[in-house]
Amino acid sequence: MKSILKAGTAMALILSMAGQTFAAEMLTSVGAGEGSVVIVAWPGYIERGETDKSFDWVTKFEEQSGCQVQVKTANTSDEMVALMNEGGFDLVTASGDASLRLIAGKRVQPVNVDLIPSWSTVDDRLKNAPWHTVDGVHYGVPYMWGPNVLMYNTEVFKEPPTSWNVVFEEMELGDGKSNKGRVQAYDGPIHIADAANYLMHNKPELGIQNPYELNADQYAAALGLLRQQRKLVSRYWHDAFIQMDDFKNEGVVASGSWPFQVNLLKSEGLPIASVIPQEGATGWADTTMMHADAANPNCAYMWMEHTLSSNLQSDLSVWFGAVPSVPAACTDGRGMQNAEGCDINGLKDFDKIKFWTTPVSSCGSQDECIPYYRWVSDYIGVIGGR
Amino acid sequence: MTNAVSFTAVSRHFGSVRAVDDVDLEIGEGEFFAMLGPSGSGKTTCLRLIAGFEQPTSGQIRIFGEAVEGIPPYRRNVNTVFQDYALFPHLRIIDNVAYGLMVRGVGRAERHRLAEEALALVELPGYGDRRTGQLSGGQRQRVALARALVNKPRVLLLDEPLGALDQKLREQMQEELKSLQKALGITFVFVTHDQGEALSMADRIAVFNQGRIMQVGSPEDIYRRPNSRFVADFVGASNVLPPDFTGTGKWSSLRPEAIRLTSSGGKPARVAWHSFLGGQTRVVLDSQGQRLNMLLPSTEPAPQDGATVRIRWNDQDIHLMDDDR
Amino acid sequence: MTVQAAIVSPKRVGPAGELSDSLWRNPRFLLLLLLTPPLLWLGVIYLGSLFALLAQSFFSIDEFSGLINREPTLKTYRELFVPANLDILIRTVSMAAMVTIAAAAVAFPVAYFAARYATGRWKAVFYLGIMLPLWSSYLVKVYAWKLILAKEGILNWLVGKLHLTWLLDAYLQAPLIGGNSLSVSYTGTFLVFLYVWLPFMILPVQASLERVPASLIEASGDLGAAPGQTLRHVLLPLALPGIVAGSIFTFSLTLGDYIIPQIIGSSRLFIGQAVYAHQGTAGNIPLAAAFTVVPVLIMGIYLYAAKRLGAFDAL
Repeated sequence: MKSILKAGTAMALILSMAGQTFAAEMLTSVGAGEGSVVIVAWPGYIERGETDKSFDWVTKFEEQSGCQVQVKTANTSDEMVALMNEGGFDLVTASGDASLRLIAGKRVQPVNVDLIPSWSTVDDRLKNAPWHTVDGVHYGVPYMWGPNVLMYNTEVFKEPPTSWNVVFEEMELGDGKSNKGRVQAYDGPIHIADAANYLMHNKPELGIQNPYELNADQYAAALGLLRQQRKLVSRYWHDAFIQMDDFKNEGVVASGSWPFQVNLLKSEGLPIASVIPQEGATGWADTTMMHADAANPNCAYMWMEHTLSSNLQSDLSVWFGAVPSVPAACTDGRGMQNAEGCDINGLKDFDKIKFWTTPVSSCGSQDECIPYYRWVSDYIGVIGGR
Repeated sequence: MTNAVSFTAVSRHFGSVRAVDDVDLEIGEGEFFAMLGPSGSGKTTCLRLIAGFEQPTSGQIRIFGEAVEGIPPYRRNVNTVFQDYALFPHLRIIDNVAYGLMVRGVGRAERHRLAEEALALVELPGYGDRRTGQLSGGQRQRVALARALVNKPRVLLLDEPLGALDQKLREQMQEELKSLQKALGITFVFVTHDQGEALSMADRIAVFNQGRIMQVGSPEDIYRRPNSRFVADFVGASNVLPPDFTGTGKWSSLRPEAIRLTSSGGKPARVAWHSFLGGQTRVVLDSQGQRLNMLLPSTEPAPQDGATVRIRWNDQDIHLMDDDR
Repeated sequence: MTVQAAIVSPKRVGPAGELSDSLWRNPRFLLLLLLTPPLLWLGVIYLGSLFALLAQSFFSIDEFSGLINREPTLKTYRELFVPANLDILIRTVSMAAMVTIAAAAVAFPVAYFAARYATGRWKAVFYLGIMLPLWSSYLVKVYAWKLILAKEGILNWLVGKLHLTWLLDAYLQAPLIGGNSLSVSYTGTFLVFLYVWLPFMILPVQASLERVPASLIEASGDLGAAPGQTLRHVLLPLALPGIVAGSIFTFSLTLGDYIIPQIIGSSRLFIGQAVYAHQGTAGNIPLAAAFTVVPVLIMGIYLYAAKRLGAFDAL
C-alpha cells in the first residue's frame, strides 16, 4: 500500500498549492543575496566536489555570494514539472520537453537578461531558442546541451553504424547474430521524436519537417515504427546506471544514450563508442529557469550569472559529456575542457540536432499536431505491447 | 487362538532414553486390557507402537498374527481415542465421526447414517450439526469414541481416556466403557496412570515402570499378589515390608485394610496421624520404626493421634514378593 | 506482641495514587484514554488521506500544463479503461495472483517443517533464515537479483556449467513468460517478487500450523487417511487463516510495488509504476489516484470473498 501513502502525501502538497499567487514581476536590479538558493536539477548537474574532488562548481559560488546551494535531483522531465508544480524551489535545469510546459503553466517567470553580465557570451544559436523564449521574452538562461548519441559496442560493430536503423529495424549485426533483444530505447515519451526523426530521413513521403510537430498520419507512422522496435527491445532504459549495467551484463550492444554513459563506460575500459548517424539525432538543451514564486530571486540571479561565467560550463562539460552554452568555455582554459573535448561531445554537430521541445497542438509547421499528453499515454501503450 | 496384539522383545529408544525396553506382551482377543504405570513408564509409547505412530527400535509386533513392521497407521485396522480427543475443530460433529468413512470413500449419505448410529451408541443422538466448541468435555470424549468405533476397529486403543473428566463423570464413563466393550466384543487396550480405573475396568493389567513391564495379571492378582515392591506400592498403596520386619528373608506386602486394631496381643504401634477419607479413615502408624498404613471403616472410632494401640493381621495377608525391585 | 498488617493499605500519596485508584474503578475511561490517540491517528491521518485520495480520482488534469481541474468528473475513471491502462491492471493483478499462489506453495512445506519438526536451535535458525532477507535493504536485494538473472549473470553461468543452456533457451522462447534473458522477462519479475515477499507468507502460515495440535494429524492417519488426505482434509483447512493472512500481504504488496518491475522485467508498467509515473513524474494526480483505488477495491473484494469462504472461521 506504499503507493496509497505516496499518493496521499503528494496530494496534500497539491492542495497546499491552491493558495499560491502568480508573481510575474521581473527583477530590475539584483540586491543582496537571501542566503540560499534551491535548485531542481538533473543528477550530476550540480557538483560540489563530493562525488569527485576535482569537479566542484558550487563551493566558490557559496563563498563569494553567501548563497547556500540546495539541490533536489529529478530523473525525468515529467518529474521536474511535477516538482515545480509543487513549488518551494527557486530554479530548475529544465530540458526543452519541460520548459514550454512550465511557461504555459506559469510556473516560471521571465528573466531580465540585462541583470546577467555574461549573457553576451552565450552561443548566439541558443540566445533566442524557442524552448525558452516565447514572444521575445526570455524565460531562462541556457545551461548545457548535448546530443542523444547512438552508443554501440565496438566488438560487434567494427565500423560505426551509419543509421539509427540498428535500433529500429530487425537485422543481422556484425557478429552474425540478430539485434533482437540486444538494443535499447529510452523509456520517456520524447523517444517518439527519435522515431519521427528516423522517418523524416528514411520516409520523406510522410512529409515530416520537425520531429516534435507531427500530424495524425506522421504520428501513427512513428508509433508503428516504435511497435516494431518493441519486438527488438527487451527492456527500455530509464536510469543511466541501469543502462550501463545492461551494456555490461545484459548483452545490450546498441542504444540511444547520452555522452555521459559513453564516457563512463569508456573510462572503465569497455569496448564502447558513440556516433551521430546520418539521420542526425535528437538532443537536449537545458535552461536554468526561475520559479514564478522564487523565494530567493537575488541568489537565483547570482547563480544564473555564475553558471555562465565560472568554471561550471567547462568542467560540467567534461563531467557530464555535454556541450557548454558558452563556446568560450571550450577554449579559454577556465576549466578542464578543451576544443577537442567539446567536439567529441557534439559541438560540431549542432546543426544535426533537433532539440527536445514539448509537442503542442498548435504547431508552426502544420495545421494541427498531436499534443504531448497523447505522447505520454500512447508511449505507455507501446511499451505495454499495444 | 491368535492374540489380538503380541509384542516380542520390543524396544523403542529415543536417543539414550529407553522408553520401551525389551517388552514381551500378549493381549487376547476381546480382552479389556489396561496398561498402568506412572508417567514416563513407557505405557503410552507401547500404545503408539500398536497404533503405528512409533516404530520399534527392535523386536516384533503382531496384530492378529500379522507382523506390522513398516505398516503406517492409516493401513492398520486399529483406532485410537486420544487423551485430548483430537477432534477436528473445522468439522461438524457428524463429519468428525464420519471422517474415517469419508477417507475410505464411503458415500455421503451412507457415512452420515453410520455416523448417526455411532453417535446414538454413545448416547449423543442428534448432536451431528454442532461444532466441537459447543460440547462439554464428557461429550467430546463420547464423540471421540464414536469416531473411532464407527470404523469397526479390531482393536481400540484408549490413551488416558478419562483423564480430563471430573470424578463423577469418570465413574459413569468407566461403567459405560466397560459395558460398551462387552456389547461390541472389541479388544480394548487402554492406558492409565490411575490404578483405581485399571482395577475396576480391566480384565487384565500390565504394570509398567521405566520402560519395562513389572507384572501382568488380573486386577485381583495385581492387587493381592504384587510381585515387586514397585507394584505393591503403586497399586493400592500397600505397606511394603522389609525382610527383617517379618523375619521371612523376603520383601513382603501388606494391604492397609488387612491391618486391624485389637485390644490384646498383636504388635504395639503409635498413631502418627490420621485422616478422614469418607467411607474409611486412614491411620498412619509407627510400629518398631516401620511406617504402616491402616484403613478403618468410618463406622469405627478412630484412635487419637499420639496414642499407642495394638494391631494385628492374618499371616496369609502377608504376601511375599520374589522380585525385590 | 506481633505487628499485624492492616487489612486495607493506605492510599498511595499524591495525584498519581488518586488517579490510579479512580482509573481502576472506571476501566471504561481507561480504555477510552488508551484508544483515543491511535484512533485519532488512524481516523484523521490515515482515513483522511485515503478519502482525499478518493476525491482526487474524481478530478481531471489539463494535460498540457499539468494543472489539476477540480471539477468532479468520471473522465479519469474512463481513462483507466482504455486498453493500455486496462493492460496494466490485468498484468498487475495476474502477477499478484501468481506470486501469491506460488508463495503459498513454497511457504507451506517450509512452514510445516518449522512448525512440526524444528525445535530449539533449529527453530532459531529457521527464524533467522526467514527474517534475515528482511533486514537487508530492499533495493540491494533487487539489484542483487538483477545480477543473478542477467544474461551474463550467475544463474546463466550456472546453467551453462550444467550444460542446460538449451533448456533455459527453450523456456525463454516461450511467449509471455519468456524474453531475451530472465532479467527482462516476466519470469524474472515473478521470481524476484516471490523472493522478496515470501517471508510475509511463511510467517503467518507457520503461526497457523503451529496451532494445529500434533494429535490431529495422528488422529487423521489413525482414522485411515493417507498423508495426502490428511493434508487436504485437516492441514489445509486449519492452515487456511494463515494462508489467507499471508496472501493479503503478498497480494497487496505485489499490487503496490513499483521498484521491482522497473529494475527486473520488460519495461511494461505495473499499477505501482503507473501511479508513480502519473503522480511523480507526469503530475497526473487524478489518474494516479484512480489507479490507486483499484488495489484498494480488489483487496476489499478479496477480503470479503475470503470471509464468505470461511477463511476466518477458525480464528
